[in-house]
Amino acid sequence: MNVLILGGAGMLGPYVARELAPNHNLRITDITPPEEDLPGEFLLLDASDLDGVVDAAAGMDAIVNLSVLRRHRRLAWDVSTRGCYNMMQAAVTHGISRVINTGPHYTVAGRHITEILDFGIGPDIPPQPGTNLYAITKAMGLEICRVFTEHHDISVQSYLFYNFKDPAAIQPGEHYAPYVISWENAAEVFTLGLDIDLDALPSRNEVFYVFADMPHDKFSNEKAKRILGFKPRQDVENLWK
Amino acid sequence: MRILITSASHGRSAALADHLAHHHEVRLTERVHVETEHEFVLSDLGHDRSTNLLTRGIDAIIHVAEPLPEEDVSSQLDAATRCTYNLLMAAAEEGAQKVILLSTLDLMAAYPPGYRVKETWRPLPRTQPPTLTKHMAEQVIREFAREGSLDVEVLRLGEASNETVAVAVDQALSQLDSLAPQHRSKEEGARDPWSITHVGERPQ
Repeated sequence: MNVLILGGAGMLGPYVARELAPNHNLRITDITPPEEDLPGEFLLLDASDLDGVVDAAAGMDAIVNLSVLRRHRRLAWDVSTRGCYNMMQAAVTHGISRVINTGPHYTVAGRHITEILDFGIGPDIPPQPGTNLYAITKAMGLEICRVFTEHHDISVQSYLFYNFKDPAAIQPGEHYAPYVISWENAAEVFTLGLDIDLDALPSRNEVFYVFADMPHDKFSNEKAKRILGFKPRQDVENLWK
Repeated sequence: MRILITSASHGRSAALADHLAHHHEVRLTERVHVETEHEFVLSDLGHDRSTNLLTRGIDAIIHVAEPLPEEDVSSQLDAATRCTYNLLMAAAEEGAQKVILLSTLDLMAAYPPGYRVKETWRPLPRTQPPTLTKHMAEQVIREFAREGSLDVEVLRLGEASNETVAVAVDQALSQLDSLAPQHRSKEEGARDPWSITHVGERPQ
């Protein structure tokens, strides 16, 4: 499969590229050059550049969006909201039916609304990001994706992460978010998302929490396991054991 | 009452300013210069201090949220989302009490003809303006209401005259002082900080 990865030179991108490279042809883009050699073709591209994103998607079978810019009050909107619009326009233009989007857990579950208070939080709740910049910009991107799936034959899987860890660097007793995954384990879910029969998804707009099995039951990764076949590794358990 | 009206270059904003100026202090703003007899402040609705100054001392904001002439889709989307966020963030920080968003009943046009469509029904935007941009502005503003930082009223305008819209805006402004403390129950007089009113006829 020919796969366009937007924002592929960031923190998660290299792990995803190495995971996908053996079985897919990759075109990786980012606003800055990668700090390490990445497999496939690389293009410098700003995700907020509509024409550039549309051009980059030519000949692709799938788009994976890893673009992230959390704190800058202009760039966060450019990347996370307009970037999604541009990605979906590119998918429409080139007839690409498989899109994988990414974001933080509070794209749907606002940090101050549920995380402190609740347990068993799943991804299929009405999005309630609140006004946190990172959360709301990603949530608006998610909504744009949803609207496009209502009008076009495009399936969007949104993988929501929280905290990534390098298992080898975990220190006993260190602080951790209630939702953790190793970089390598996170990358594996993208293979599942590219392989899955789109007709096996419940709808054209599906959201998944992707993280390791954790004992406290704050959030639920059950949907990712059940639908995508995601297999959490047991490589971050030193955080609580 | 001191009222800020956005999208000053749009006819709807000008008509509202003329109407409200009889009883209120009106300030208009736009992302480009606009000639008007009312007080006017040029603002790109960025995230810097100028947007705070724009909203300082303002009691209510009427966010008309219309594009500039010839504005491309991407810029319209940026204005509807980022600029709306900046405006409301500043308004909340500066203590504005109420935001009225002028949205569109086109959001409900896809429901079958003859249906009695209610404000509580899910909007059905298309992937282009104006429904996409108005919908996204609603989505951004809703989060401020959800957090309780601003009292928000959305007026979804259908086929309605300027006079009809003015009446709806007057009604929304008249409720400015009646927002009871949120810890009270509805039976004790509390209102939700988020309400939607359909104004005029729904396009079908």
